[in-house]
This record gives sequence, C-alpha cells and structure tokens, in this order.
Amino acid sequence: MKKKRIYASLIVLLIGLVGTVAVYFATAIYQTDSVALITDKHIKDTLVQKDKDVYGNQDETRKQVLHLLILSGKHKGERYTATNNYYPSQLVTQKYRAGQRIFVNIKKGQAALVNPKRDWVLALVLTITLALMVLLVGVKSFKLMASMAISWIIFYGVILLDVKLNGSGIILLFSAAVVIFSFVSLAIVQGINKKMLATWLSTLLGIFVSFGLCYLIMELTGETEMRFETGEYATQDPRGLFFAQTLLGILGAVMDESTDIVTSLYELVQTKKDVTVKDMIQSGRTLGQEIMGPLINVLVLIFISEALPETILYLRDNNTLSTTFGFTLSLGATQSIISAIGIVLTVVFATGCSLWFLHEKEQGKLNE
Amino acid sequence: MSSLTALVILLAVLMAIIGGETGIRSFFSVLINGILLILVALLISWGVNVELVILIFIPLKLVTIIFLGTHDYTVAKNSFYSAFIVCLLTSVLVLMMQHFAQAAGLGPEAGEVLVGLSQMPGLNYGMIAVAVAIFSTLGAIAEAAVAMSSGLLELKKAKPDISEKQLRASGDAIGYDVLGTAMNTVLFGMFGSFLSLFLWYYRLGYSIGQVLNEKLFVNEALIIMYSLIGVLMTVPLSTFLLSKGLTKSEVKHEDKHTDTH
Repeated sequence: MKKKRIYASLIVLLIGLVGTVAVYFATAIYQTDSVALITDKHIKDTLVQKDKDVYGNQDETRKQVLHLLILSGKHKGERYTATNNYYPSQLVTQKYRAGQRIFVNIKKGQAALVNPKRDWVLALVLTITLALMVLLVGVKSFKLMASMAISWIIFYGVILLDVKLNGSGIILLFSAAVVIFSFVSLAIVQGINKKMLATWLSTLLGIFVSFGLCYLIMELTGETEMRFETGEYATQDPRGLFFAQTLLGILGAVMDESTDIVTSLYELVQTKKDVTVKDMIQSGRTLGQEIMGPLINVLVLIFISEALPETILYLRDNNTLSTTFGFTLSLGATQSIISAIGIVLTVVFATGCSLWFLHEKEQGKLNE
Repeated sequence: MSSLTALVILLAVLMAIIGGETGIRSFFSVLINGILLILVALLISWGVNVELVILIFIPLKLVTIIFLGTHDYTVAKNSFYSAFIVCLLTSVLVLMMQHFAQAAGLGPEAGEVLVGLSQMPGLNYGMIAVAVAIFSTLGAIAEAAVAMSSGLLELKKAKPDISEKQLRASGDAIGYDVLGTAMNTVLFGMFGSFLSLFLWYYRLGYSIGQVLNEKLFVNEALIIMYSLIGVLMTVPLSTFLLSKGLTKSEVKHEDKHTDTH
C-alpha cells in the first residue's frame, strides 16, 4: 500500500474526529428544539409496574427522573427536571442515558423530551467510511463522494418537484429522474467515455424494458392483491408512490450490474488479442449468471430486513404468517421481484452493448 | 392470479432462460434466502435470543447466497471466506455504533402502524435494530465478494499467464468500479424504500437538523455507510485471497508436472 494514501487517510481521520467532536458539542445550529444535557451521574430508574398484554407479552413500565441543563435557545442555562416513562422493549419509547445530550421542547415551564442527539454518530461513521475509502481507493474516492453527494442533491430536488406537482405525473417525473441519476453517477465515477456510454445505455434499457414489462403484467392481472394502502408514510397517492419507488429500486441494481459486466468485458477486449463475438457473449453470460443471484439477494435482504421490526411485532401478536406477509412484506416483495426481473434482463443488454467495443476495436478506435 | 404470483413466474422463467442451470439455482437461493429471513423473524418473535439468531444466520445466509448463486467453486470459496470475515468485522462496528445511536424501534408514524398491536412486546428492539443493520449489509458484502472474485477469475481464464502483480492491478481497477456501483445499489435501494418517508419529512416541515437526529433517517444513513465500509473491506481482501489461491494452485500443478517426468 502506498505511503501517501496512509497519510491522506490519517489526515481524513483526524479532521473527521475533530468534526465529530464539534458536532457532538454543537448546540447553536439547532433552532427548532433546544439542546439539553442530562446532568445526572446515575439516572434514577424505577419500576412502575409489570405489564402483561392481551397477547400474553410480558413487559415493564419504568420511570426515569432526568435533571436537565438547557444548553441552547431562549432558556439557555436554566435547569429542569423531567420524567421519562419507557418500556424496556424500546419499540416506541426511548431510554435515556446519564450524561447524554438530548433535544427538548420547552413549553409552559415544562421540558418535553424529543430525541437523543444522534447527529454525532452519523459524523463518526462517515469519518470511518471516508478514511477507509481514501486508504483503499486513493484519490479516486473523491469522485465517489462527489457522486454520492450529487445523488442526494438531485434526490432532494426531485422531492421538491414532486411536492410541487403534488404527485401528478409521478411516473414521468421519476423516469426523468432515473435518466439523470444514472448519467450523473456513471459520468462522475467513470468519466464520459465509450465504456460509460455503453454502461448507461444498458442501464436505461434494463430499467425501462423491465419496468414496462412488469407494468403490463400488473395491468393484465388487474393489480390483484396489490395492497397499495399498506405503504407507510404515504402523503400522496400510494399507487404512484409505489411505482416511483420501484423505478428507483431497479435503477441501483441495474446500474451496478451493467457496470460489472461492461467493465469486465472491456478489460477482456483490452487484455485478450483475438477475442470473438462468441467469446464475448459466452463471457458476458457467465459473468451475468454469477452476478445475478447475489445481486437479487442484496435487494431482497434490504427490503425484508427493513420490514423486520414490524414483521416481528405482527408475529409476536399471534398473527398468522399470511396476514403478516400481506401487511408488512407484500408490497416490498413485489418491488423486489420487479427489480430482479430488471437484473436478469440486463445481462442481455449489458453483453449486447459491450459488443460495440469489439466493433470499435476492429476499426482501431477503442483507445481514442 | 395475483400480480405478485404472475411476476414471480415471469422471474423464474427469465432466470431459467438467461441463467440456465445457474439461473435456476440462483432463483432457489433467493427463495431460500427470503424464507431464512422470515424464519429469523419467527424465531425472534418466539423470544429466542437475538444475538444467537444473528450469529447462526450470518454464515447460513452467506452460504445460501454465494454457494447456491454461483457455479464456479473457486469463486464461491473465495467469496465466502472474504465475505464471512468482513461480515464479522462489520458486525462489531454495527454493535458499537447502534449502541450510541439509540435508534431502536419504529419511526415517527408508529402510532398509525400500531393500531391493534402491542406496544410492549417484551422483546429487545435495540438488538433487533442491530440485526436489521447486519442483514441489510450482508447482501452488499456478498455481492461485492462475488463480483470481485468472478471478475478476476474471468480475466485469469482469458489470459492464463497473467502475473500475480498484474492480477492485483486489475483487481484494483475492477474493485473501484465494483465499489462505486455497490454504493449505488445501496443508495438507490434506500431512496426507493424511503421515498415516502422523505416526502413525509418534507411535507411535515422537518428542519434538516431534525431529520439528522430522527431515528429512521439515522438508521438508514448508518446502514448505507455500514454497507460501504463492508464493501470497502471486501475489495482488497478478495483480491488478496484470490491471487494467493491462484498462484498456490499453479505451484501445485507445476509440482505434479515435474513429478511425472
């Protein structure tokens, strides 16, 4: 490993740690709620009662008495005492720790607890991620960071637009967003060149062909058992939201796969002298076969894992597996299956787009 | 026929046509993987110790993803070793950070979700949050390991006389692309599943400061970064294991050669 990278990584780590400490102690940047410090060395934590609910679940209600020193806002420097009732399961309640910084909302002389201060944990993990990235990838990692930051900015812009349009034309809006997202991410990571254009084309074909196909099938089956209303946090037409989320979901996976296949085939065309169309198709198919299983698994894992807390709760409360599935998993499952179909079709598109390199190579234009 | 069933059938047919035998095996790997996670949910809901469930299911899921999903034994073996080591390292990080983040349980709309459900289930939701993070990350790590190993092996097949040094240089090149796009899969996967949540934050007038401290957002952002850290550690490790493994098998082969002559 290069010495430069180690130094650069240490510098990133140092700056990041300083930043994390700064975020931890930052109070003035928060306007909505005040930051408070729990001054207790040991929080008084008493059992209020033991509970048993209708499902036979046993839990406790506990009470914490917290002494707070307000660190920001109009009430800075004042002291309050607050009580916090929590259940040790911490499904909907929060247990606080001694010496912790938290957010409180002060009204009528009472401090209402809002949230623990979590921002510094984000800063800490971000620091670890960036330091590792610089150590292992080097200078190029800035491109990855830029790509990620720009994706967040575009995402924010799309959300603004969607709210402005109030959800009308949402499929069109997110189709456009997907085209832009894929172009920007690929252009930043790979630069605009032939390899990147082939990857982009394959990505777009993969997204829109599979989305169109699945949309058609859903319409043909009359959207039977599509429980759009189980989608959470829906502030607009849940059906439109579902399709927008599906488009974003396919995008990530298909872009990943196109890059993997096109990159490997590009390396192949460059390293091997007399490569034929048949070799390319064979290699592309082999690669695709190797990649598609794990990639589909990535998506399935993400969606089921995210639904775990709720799924466990439904099961805990004596619901049958099929009821639980209908409420917590069926929408996500449909979305993952559509992405999976995109992943499988992309093997064909990515290999097809790579054949272009061969054509270019025959004409001696590949490295121009 | 329900839409979901129709889509599953289409997927199975496509995987069989395009993926051949490996495709069919991958289909079952996805199916088994899904069933395993539902089993995780069942076991935890019955009150089995969450830490134990995590420890048992990490290798189980990696085996399902990697060995059932790939047809080349060398690729599978290398991917499994690197993915398993990385998963354990990531789990330690997750355990520490989730302790500080205190982001267990359901999000701000919990009230609506919880109608008719128990608010005091008597389970350890802190540990369940750790399980969610580990299992979300595991897929990305396995995928990166397989992409690295199979990419390098294809190269080795195409150019059998490639040196270990060249192989590592190519590993760096492939690794960069794999990393860049693994990031995208995770990032857009998250954008996809949390689009409605972000719209909800926006419409309810959350300030950026509030979002950055809100339980669900913090959890999501952390999972994206855990996945990145996992993939980052996987890239050099799989290149190292594969290039070592390949040169070793070469040496053995030469030994045999000289023996017989």
